[in-house]
Amino acid sequence: MTEEEVLTHIDRLVTNTLKGKGLPAAKIDQQSELLGGAVGIDSLDLALLVRELEEVVGHDPFADGFIEFRTAGELAKLYAR
Amino acid sequence: MTSPLELDGDDESSAILNGAARLSRGELRRQADELLEQLARRGASRVLVQSDDPTHVLRAVDASTRAGADLFIAHTNLPAEFVREIVDRFAIQAILGEHDEYRSADGEPAGARVHMMTSGTTGRPKIAVHTLEKLLTRVRAAARVPANREGKWLLTYQTTGFAGLQVMLMAALSRGVIVVPEQRTPAGFYEAAKRAEVTQISGTPTFWRSFLMVAPRGELALRQITLGGEAIDQPTLDRVRAAFPEARVTHIYASTEAGVGFSVHDGKEGFPKSWLEEPTQGVELRIRDGLLELKTPTSMQHYLSGGEQPLLDDGWIKTADRCEVVSDRVRILGRQDSTINVGGSKVYPLAVETFLLAQSGVHEARVFGVPNPISGYLVAAEVTLAPGVDPEEARARILAACREGLAGYQVPRVFKIVDSIKVAVSGKKASQ
Repeated sequence: MTEEEVLTHIDRLVTNTLKGKGLPAAKIDQQSELLGGAVGIDSLDLALLVRELEEVVGHDPFADGFIEFRTAGELAKLYAR
Repeated sequence: MTSPLELDGDDESSAILNGAARLSRGELRRQADELLEQLARRGASRVLVQSDDPTHVLRAVDASTRAGADLFIAHTNLPAEFVREIVDRFAIQAILGEHDEYRSADGEPAGARVHMMTSGTTGRPKIAVHTLEKLLTRVRAAARVPANREGKWLLTYQTTGFAGLQVMLMAALSRGVIVVPEQRTPAGFYEAAKRAEVTQISGTPTFWRSFLMVAPRGELALRQITLGGEAIDQPTLDRVRAAFPEARVTHIYASTEAGVGFSVHDGKEGFPKSWLEEPTQGVELRIRDGLLELKTPTSMQHYLSGGEQPLLDDGWIKTADRCEVVSDRVRILGRQDSTINVGGSKVYPLAVETFLLAQSGVHEARVFGVPNPISGYLVAAEVTLAPGVDPEEARARILAACREGLAGYQVPRVFKIVDSIKVAVSGKKASQ
């Protein structure tokens, strides 16, 4: 899966999360800081998002430990192959 | 010699109803007498019984008490090699069940002890050592209470577990009848209860939630309802009381280690805070490091199999149950070892399960942790719904209630509506 494709999934999953919380949708791009406050998800939402990404993409980049990331683009890069 | 279960050889009243089969008190006495004779003839003083049939367990209890033998009660679902290990290590001379088997072995002198095994949901089962006389003394006292006389007791517990043994001894000593279901399913339990017109049912909260789903209102005339074996939550107590308004509802705190703990009859979860100051029902209670500790006259002597002993030097038993005092009530939050660590915050699955069970349309709930690279663990929940509840509507409504009523880290992030939730053979919710 390319970075672009992973990013599309991140956008979709964030949209679902925000909808579930009754918050307005946010447009996610490469530069979006996931926990920066503008997006409206918390660290536990992010924890779930990572788990769902693993299911969609089929591998877990954190299998050997945590890797730091800030933006949606950085996260997409971790999952892209 | 008198029978410790007070069984009389020519008493033809029922002791056990097992499906279509009926066993009288006299027949049970005769079977116990025969066993006693066998034990004496073979010089057997260490006995193991492994059976789901109450007849085998009760005749073993009756005969080995009279013989002064040591009795080991083994669950039928234990791995065969574990049972063989016990037989060898403790020089067991009689293995009782559907077919009795005798073997010669030399070992320590016996002391009329009974060895109960924990359900062993985590690893190897532990063996708790009690004395038969202590167990019987407590049950004899309860069996004299008029409300308990000559009842019909539905056996919802495993025959070989501590709770199951309590129910069977209680039925025997109060001249009641043990009713054994043909099928250990909610429908099977109801069918047996209805057919035998049971008056007393003791079961886990998990048992009761599933039983309420199949038992039509007004069909059973229950005198006594008892909940035990797991921490008791208010929504389940309320539902049971509403379904059987004429019955007395009791919840008990007991464990394989503590023997019988204490009973609560006021329909509220937890127990009165005043019990921490003055002993109740012969039991002393205290909270140390947030965990419940008790001192009971019926506590076990020790664990046979080394390892961590819950029995403290001063005779108190340390439980794994975390408590909190809220005004005049002590609430049990759940087992210390079941906590889910979500980003450094501790979540007690029981607290979240209780919250979910209080939501309308929710019948059963199981909460557990799923590993996560960001937060360590995330809270996951599975729920079953009452018939006719729209899953889409329920999901949105329940999750909204969780976000409103629970702390952020307690909210189930993985939420599934399922058809059924697995129940372990002990009658407790399966842990995974």
